[in-house]
Amino acid sequence: MRTPVFLAVALATALLVFALTRAIGNDYLFFAGYIVIQFIVLSTAWNILGGYCGYVNFGTAAFFALGAYTSVFFHKTYPLPIPVLLAVAAGVSGLVGLGTGYLTLRLRGAFFSIATLAMAVVLQTFVVNWNYVGGSRGAYVIRPNELDVFGYPIDYIQYLFLIMILLAAVALTIARAIEHSKLGYGFATIRDDELAAEASGVPTLKLKLIATTLSGALMGMAGAPFPYYIGYVEPASTFGLPYAVNSIAMPLIGGTTVWFGPLIGSILLGTLTQIATVTISSAVNLLLVGALLVGFVIVAPSGLVGLIQQFLRVASPARPDARSIGLIALAAFGFVVGVLEVVFSLAALTAPDSTELATATAGLVLAALWIVSAYGLMTVQGWSPIIATLAFALSIPIAALHIWLDRTQFNIALWGACIVIAIVAIAFLRRRRVQQLYAPRLGEQEALA
Amino acid sequence: MCFSSADLLINALVAGLLLGGFYAAVTVGISVSFGILDIVNIAHPGFIIVGSYIAYIVNAQFGLDPVLVGVLALPAFYALGAITYQVYYVSFEKRGQEALRGLAFFFGLLFITEVVLILVFGVDYRYVSAPYIDKTVSLGFVQFPMRMVVPCLVSLAMLALLQLFLGRTFNGRAIMAVAQDQQALRLMAVDPIKIKRMAFALSIATCALAGACLIIIQPVEPSVGREYIGRVFAICVLGGLGSLPGTLIGAMLLGIVESFTSTCAGPSWAPAVAFGLLLLTLAVRPAGLLGR
Repeated sequence: MRTPVFLAVALATALLVFALTRAIGNDYLFFAGYIVIQFIVLSTAWNILGGYCGYVNFGTAAFFALGAYTSVFFHKTYPLPIPVLLAVAAGVSGLVGLGTGYLTLRLRGAFFSIATLAMAVVLQTFVVNWNYVGGSRGAYVIRPNELDVFGYPIDYIQYLFLIMILLAAVALTIARAIEHSKLGYGFATIRDDELAAEASGVPTLKLKLIATTLSGALMGMAGAPFPYYIGYVEPASTFGLPYAVNSIAMPLIGGTTVWFGPLIGSILLGTLTQIATVTISSAVNLLLVGALLVGFVIVAPSGLVGLIQQFLRVASPARPDARSIGLIALAAFGFVVGVLEVVFSLAALTAPDSTELATATAGLVLAALWIVSAYGLMTVQGWSPIIATLAFALSIPIAALHIWLDRTQFNIALWGACIVIAIVAIAFLRRRRVQQLYAPRLGEQEALA
Repeated sequence: MCFSSADLLINALVAGLLLGGFYAAVTVGISVSFGILDIVNIAHPGFIIVGSYIAYIVNAQFGLDPVLVGVLALPAFYALGAITYQVYYVSFEKRGQEALRGLAFFFGLLFITEVVLILVFGVDYRYVSAPYIDKTVSLGFVQFPMRMVVPCLVSLAMLALLQLFLGRTFNGRAIMAVAQDQQALRLMAVDPIKIKRMAFALSIATCALAGACLIIIQPVEPSVGREYIGRVFAICVLGGLGSLPGTLIGAMLLGIVESFTSTCAGPSWAPAVAFGLLLLTLAVRPAGLLGR
């Protein structure tokens, strides 16, 4: 697909999501959705430097906060409309990215990462000591209730949501365009072997500076509407570590080499953290992100996209067939159910009355079963169909129990669907062609490993 | 200048030197892991905070002296370091992925220790009690607060022992050698992985003592570690990677600069000093003062 066509499709998808969210008509959806989409922009921006060039930026929060504080500054001096603020923030953050890159990118990669951490603290200290933008007390930014667009009033949160989702579409288009351009191939050579790239005439420093500037500018743009969204910004949370961790974890969990890796990662992890924040607490939700990050870099270093690509290479090298697509769907279902199960079990564990200890422990065991079987299915392990069948079989009585306990229409539909999926899945796993794929084959096992 | 009198200047200088001595204890682990082994362990401050909390728990429960607790915790931290290195080696170094994913791994570790400590202990400041913490010795007009002197002495002792170990023993020399040529080490019938594991474990073991020193100097809460990321790397780079005397000089320099900044511009500017110094060193002389 050509880039202009892709941009049109991405923008149309963004507008469609916006219209759908509006049709549901729940204000909370806009609040939660804004955060998830903001992370799509942040992780895509991080991935341009981190995933494509292989340079780890720990300073996402700093670039983000630069954008946010640009907005605060202009809000106090001369209020500007948000699209203009986006452009200004992009300029400021892009320049800071260029400066940091210029100082440190000539050195080994690790120095750049440490310098970005350093930059975050320097900037935070400046903001803390700068009274005009609120200092350590923070600053209030009162947003208007509504915005008038051609005589048609629109809720301000919805307006911010719309801006952010359009920005996400643009960011994804940029990332995709880079991937298939000369620039992207240059980035890939830097990631794979910088010395060899330099020796064969790739202008590595110039390319790295382009990546840092672009990535920084996008992060700044993600931060610019933030003060209007949250209403109150203060340095400690705006420069907080969670931004850095999330924007690193999302691409690494999704997959760093393709544009839709960060997208998958941020939708998955963003939604998960929103659920965990509501059902448990924000501290546990951060723990979950950290654990997922460490778990993924150890067990599945190329992320979800990498896992699926590897699986397809083994299961259907020519083109995806029904069997492999079915198995991927099963594994995806198992993974999502497993992770959700962890969240809800933890919620039960941390509830004030821990009478649900037994259910929570059982839930955690079941969750482990789901996740292990999903991982096994994707890495073509001989034991995985048995474990997956076990997980699906166990889910049938549990779903039945849920229906029996609470016979609302919604519950019956939800858990009924689970039972149907489980039966179909078990039947699918019993098929000969699926069994064949997982049967031990002499000689080929070593080749796979 | 903001120093109205000579004794204010000398007091700031002494405070800076004592602070620098303590910074050397915090940094020496990074000098071994980052400087010698080339492992970018940004989770190091996280381990230090864990050391602080262990000192706090034992001190609050049994009233043991924090430094003694630090010494007793050394073997446990050594084991922790060995395990961490084993995971790091198997998952990243062996696969050649330490650049991107290894960094993310340590960043995740730092984050996890912080969040777990917050979940268990909350965000309240914790402190220890020992007979010498409130005492101050005065020599003329110069003040020596004991809560700074004790960590400084502990730190100097630790640095001296490590320097002796690295320079005089077989294993110590092997650690210095592994940074230069792994293959040569193999030819001498020494397993480089074993040596690296030992070195990394040692670097984490220093966290037990550094953590105990930290909680003597200041009350500790889980996110204090973040302020030290910049400091340890600034000192490590400033002094020259992998050089223990360089580490001490860098630490003293940073201590003095920070102490002067606190006196002149106010303590809220102090965190920026370390990072500013780091950025400056990286831009001007990345090899550091005593660089290889």
